[in-house]
Amino acid sequence: MNDQSATFTTNELITAYLARQIEDDDLAFVGVGTNGRAFTLAVGIPLAAVRLAQMRHAPGACVYWGNLLEPDLSEIPEKLTQDSLTHWQAAACPPDTGTKCDMLMRRAFDVCFNSAAQIDRFGNMNITAIGDYRQPKVRLVGCLAQPEHAAFVRRPYIVVDLDKRTFVEEVDFITSVGHYKGGSSRTETGLSEGGPRLVVTNKAVFDFAPGSKAMRLVSLHPGVTREEVLDLMGFVPEVSEDLGETPAPDAEELRLIRHDIDPNHILLRV
Amino acid sequence: MKEKLTSLDTALAPIASGASVMFGGSLLRRQPNAAVRHLIARGVKDLTVLSWAGTTAIDMLAAAEAIRRYEGIYVGLFNYGLAPNFRRGVQSGRIEVRDFSETAMVARLRAAAQGLRFLPIRTLFGSDIAARNPEQIKTFACPFTGEPVQAVAAAETEFTIIHGYKGDKYGNVQWPVVRDTDDMDQPMAAAAKRLIVTVEKIVSHEEVKRQPSLTYIPGQWVEAIVEVPHGAHPVACDTIYDEDDAHMRDYVARCATAEGAAAYLDEFARSVADHEAYLDKIGAAHLASLDVSGGAQ
Repeated sequence: MNDQSATFTTNELITAYLARQIEDDDLAFVGVGTNGRAFTLAVGIPLAAVRLAQMRHAPGACVYWGNLLEPDLSEIPEKLTQDSLTHWQAAACPPDTGTKCDMLMRRAFDVCFNSAAQIDRFGNMNITAIGDYRQPKVRLVGCLAQPEHAAFVRRPYIVVDLDKRTFVEEVDFITSVGHYKGGSSRTETGLSEGGPRLVVTNKAVFDFAPGSKAMRLVSLHPGVTREEVLDLMGFVPEVSEDLGETPAPDAEELRLIRHDIDPNHILLRV
Repeated sequence: MKEKLTSLDTALAPIASGASVMFGGSLLRRQPNAAVRHLIARGVKDLTVLSWAGTTAIDMLAAAEAIRRYEGIYVGLFNYGLAPNFRRGVQSGRIEVRDFSETAMVARLRAAAQGLRFLPIRTLFGSDIAARNPEQIKTFACPFTGEPVQAVAAAETEFTIIHGYKGDKYGNVQWPVVRDTDDMDQPMAAAAKRLIVTVEKIVSHEEVKRQPSLTYIPGQWVEAIVEVPHGAHPVACDTIYDEDDAHMRDYVARCATAEGAAAYLDEFARSVADHEAYLDKIGAAHLASLDVSGGAQ
C-alpha cells in the first residue's frame, strides 16, 4: 500500500473513493460549467466517478448531465465546446430544464455533486456573494440548482479543496441549506430529511456527526496529518473516534481511470 | 395570419429606459446578443432584467450600466469565469440583485404563463435567497396538508427577447430535432407579454407547416420577428455555430477594467451602424470558421 501511495494522484484517489459511494441504479446529477480546477471538482471528478462505478459495481448507475438524461459516458470528447455537448449521445434530452427541476422536487435523484466558494460546519454553502449581499466584496454566480440539490437529493456529496477561505465558521450567504444550524434544525425550517452526506476534499474526508450534524473528520488521505487538515479550516470540526486513512485506489481502478475513462486527461487535468 | 417580420430597429423601438425585459438563452447558447448590442447603442438604461443562466447578454448590459435590477438563477461566463461587468455593477451597489434558484425561476415562469400571481415551491426554506426577498418569496400553509410551502411571484416583464434558430414571417419559430435543450426559452415565450424574437434565418411558411411539432414558439405569441444571422455571436447557436473562443477571451481580457469594457462596447455596439456592419467587422471568414451546421443552414 505504501509503495502504491506515490503512484496515484489525489484526483484519482477522490474519484475512486466517490465511485465506491455510488450504488447500483443511482441517478446522479452532475453540472456542466466552469473551468480549471472548479471544472475538475464539479464536473470532471463526478463524471469519472460515476463512470468508474458503472464499470465496476453499479452498471445501472446513471447521470443527469446538463439536460441530458443518461448520457453515454463511455467516450469523453477531447474538447468540450458547445457543439460536442449538443451532439453527446444520451437516452433522453427533455424539452427544457423544467423537467429536471420537476424530477428534483419529486426527489428522483439519489446523488449530486456540489462545490462552493464557502461551506460552514453544518454543510450550508454559498455560491452567491462574499461579504454583504447588497454590496458584496465579491459577487459570485448566483445559485443555479444548488438549493434544490441540497433540499431534495438523497445523498449530496460535496467536492471541494480544503482552504481556510472556503471552510468558514459561517457562510456570508446561505445559498443552499445543508444541516442548517445542526441537530434537527434542518427539518424545522420546513425542508425534508437529508442534507450533505460527505465532504470529500483534496486532503481528507468528512461526514456529519449523528445528532449534532456538525462536520466530522473521518479519514485523512495517505500522507496527510490531522494538524495539516485543521490548519486549513476556519472552524474546528469534530473528529471521528475511528479516524483512519482514505482507502487508496486499487490497480484495477487506476487502470480504468487512466486507460478507459479519461485517457486524454480532460476530466482530471488539474 | 398577421405578418410580423420587421427590422431590429422597429422591433426593439418600444423598449425604453426603465422597462422590464426577460432575456432568453442559457450559458453559451442563444444569448440575444445582437438585440442587446442594439439596446446599448440606443442608450437604453435603468432596466429590470430577468434571465435563466445569463452570460454575455447580461454582462454587456451591465457594462453599459443599463441594469438597475437583476433577477435570475445565474450570471457568469460559463467556462470563461465570472461575469466581470456584472460583478462590478453588483459590487458597487449599482445593480440590485434578487437571486432565484432553478425550481423557483421555473415556478415563476409557469405562473406567468398561466396568468397566476404565484406558484408554490418547497426548495428555499432556511436559504438567504428567501430570507433576503420577502417581497417575492412568501411562506404560507398548504390548504390541503397545512405544511409550509413558499409562494414565488410570477415572472412578469413588459418585454421578452429570445434568439431562436429559424422562423417564418408570421413569427412561428422552430427548433431543430437535435439541439441542446438546457434552457427555458419556450417557457419564457409562453410567459411573455410582448415577445420579440430574433432568428438565424427566415424560412417559408410552407417549410414550417410541414413539421408543425417543431414550432416551439407559435406566431400567436409573437409581437415581432427579425432575421438576425449570427445573432448570438460571440456565443453559440447550437447546431448552427459554436462559441467564438478568441472573441470570448478578448472580451474577458478587455473587461478586466470598466474602461476596457466601455471601449469594447464603443467598438462593437455603439460605433457599428447595424448588425450587418457588426458581422462585417467580425469577418465572414472568421464566422465561417465557427460553423458547425455542416452546410445544413
